Amino acid sequence: MPALSSTMTEGKIVEWLKNPGDKVERGESVLVVESDKADMDVESFHDGFLASIVMPAGSSAPVGETIGLIVETADEIASAQANAPSTLPQAAANQDKESPSSQTQKKQASVDSSQATAIKQTPPVPDYSVNNEQFLNDGRIVASPRAKKLASQMGVDLATVRGSGPHGRIQAEDVQSAKGQPISIPWIAESNAPARIVSDMPLKEKKSVDTDKPPSAGKSFGSRGETIAFNTLQQAVNRNMEESLNTPCFRVGYSILTDELDSFYQQVKPNGVTMTALLAKAVGLTLARHPQVNAAFSSEGIAYPSQINVAVAVAMEDGGLITPVLQKADETSLADLSLQWADLVKRARNKQLEPQEYSSGTFTLSNLGMFGVDRFDAILPPGTGAILAVGASLSKVVASKDGSISIKKQMQVNLTADHRVIYGADGALFLKDLSYLIEKNPYSLSS
Amino acid sequence: MNKKLHSVSPESGPNSNLDLTPQLAQFSSAFLFEPKNIVPFETALGWQKNIQKSLIEKPFSSQAVWFLEHFSCYTIGRGSDMKNLLFDENKSPLPVFRIERGGEVTHHMPGQIVGYLVLDLGLHKKDLSWYLRELEQILIDVLDLLGIEGTRVDGLTGVWCEDKKVGSIGIGCKRWVTQHGFSLNVNCDLIGFEKIIPCGLNNVKLGKLSDWIPGIKVCDVKPLLRETVRRRFKLNWENI
Repeated sequence: MPALSSTMTEGKIVEWLKNPGDKVERGESVLVVESDKADMDVESFHDGFLASIVMPAGSSAPVGETIGLIVETADEIASAQANAPSTLPQAAANQDKESPSSQTQKKQASVDSSQATAIKQTPPVPDYSVNNEQFLNDGRIVASPRAKKLASQMGVDLATVRGSGPHGRIQAEDVQSAKGQPISIPWIAESNAPARIVSDMPLKEKKSVDTDKPPSAGKSFGSRGETIAFNTLQQAVNRNMEESLNTPCFRVGYSILTDELDSFYQQVKPNGVTMTALLAKAVGLTLARHPQVNAAFSSEGIAYPSQINVAVAVAMEDGGLITPVLQKADETSLADLSLQWADLVKRARNKQLEPQEYSSGTFTLSNLGMFGVDRFDAILPPGTGAILAVGASLSKVVASKDGSISIKKQMQVNLTADHRVIYGADGALFLKDLSYLIEKNPYSLSS
Repeated sequence: MNKKLHSVSPESGPNSNLDLTPQLAQFSSAFLFEPKNIVPFETALGWQKNIQKSLIEKPFSSQAVWFLEHFSCYTIGRGSDMKNLLFDENKSPLPVFRIERGGEVTHHMPGQIVGYLVLDLGLHKKDLSWYLRELEQILIDVLDLLGIEGTRVDGLTGVWCEDKKVGSIGIGCKRWVTQHGFSLNVNCDLIGFEKIIPCGLNNVKLGKLSDWIPGIKVCDVKPLLRETVRRRFKLNWENI
């Protein structure tokens, strides 16, 4: 019995939409549960067959109770039915997710991997991202039309392709990457900068545009002569950007040498640490020492958030952008930040982010370094005090204090801040401190 | 573009969490439909289904809200007890629709505002109980704007004025995308309720706003609902 609300303790089964023995597809409604005056269609997480209804329509069951069994193959229906818990709740209570398979000893070895899955859900309820482990297809292949076409053109067996789309759907890019081809539309601009814009990166990391190659064509949502309506996300961005016109912003820039950071990055990269995590952590640690730059304007005064949450702007392939948030960037380890970021970006792509995962930022990072951009400025998102625009790290002839000249990697950053909360000196000191951390002390990021 | 409807003013209600600074998430978009003519029940059902389907298939597509009136009919939920119909279903004086919502039988008729909300609770809060309470609060807030005190009754869903039920709620939900919503009796004829046990509640007394505010009409209440719904669910009405 799924929890339909945080306060729900039991639910009533209104109707089973499937009968025992019926085939059930992943995402298909299997039953209707009622709690209070609300009906919820409950769906299967798996392809398979409804083997047994444990709790009949009209009965009520506590949250978490097994209410029915779904098996993977038609052969298993009979054994699952034989072993199905009785409709008595106390008998059902000791049935756990794995038990039907352990009880079906008589089954032949060929179905050893299959097991009955109890429709037993505990909060948080239907989260369609939980099936990430199941992406390798077992029989039924779900792929986009373009992926299917590409697969046949390229001679790729879709059964071997790991789908990255919703519910493991195979996308065109998955086919390309399975074939080892570079992904042609890396339109989630994942911030990998200060860009090591060199081609010695492994293919998977190579989301950046290589400046040695001819630039790829720009992106467009419509054809010549057309006017294309804004999508919802674009409209949301529009509103937020217009809102910034009511904010008195100023900009302050800084050039930061990144040779040390780059060499530190090379050391930690094998541990799965990404540049986004490094930058977020550097910003987080610096914000911890400059709380004013983490603050925001509110009608009551200067609002100091209880956490340092670094949002990182990510462009969406179909327009608009979203800002997944790395919570407590100052306190979280680089490895955790990297993992969280990979997960956030993946789910952002599938539009599965929860609101608090993209709306709770207290400071924003925007990075166009991977495109070779040397400098730009960003628009302040409403509700925050500052945003940092990060350019590419490029080789520059640098004169040091003693007058000697050398070639160093340099990255330009540009802070846009709300002057009602953050003053020029606050911004300057923040940047100076950030620069010191990145130039002289990147190893402290791993602490 | 209507400047007023699109302005993003950070409204800090009692539930707002100051620690969470608002960005993209604060507002989501919805179409607002307020048909001037009375709408057959099945027509509006089709509208809702379409939007719900597209929201399920394409997250981030637009949500929608309707405020409308229906021709007289009865609707019953999938789990409804037929005993609450005090007549033979096949010899019903009015059309009866069996629909995918919670709750027992209810009655719609001109003079009653029906509010349908097809919202993606993923953008709001994945909690059906919360959602029902929010719908109640919307009705209570609208009554408050009219100078009437609306109340909840413990353990029941809906909104009462004194001892009379004026607002009913029933929703359906699929992948956290809602359908159906609420009805609010404004100046309707309540006689049709005598042929059913509304909401399965014996001895429930029904009321309408014109009992308290003589002469009030649906068109007086709609603008209040529109604004209250918009604020409570932080919606931006999208241009149609």
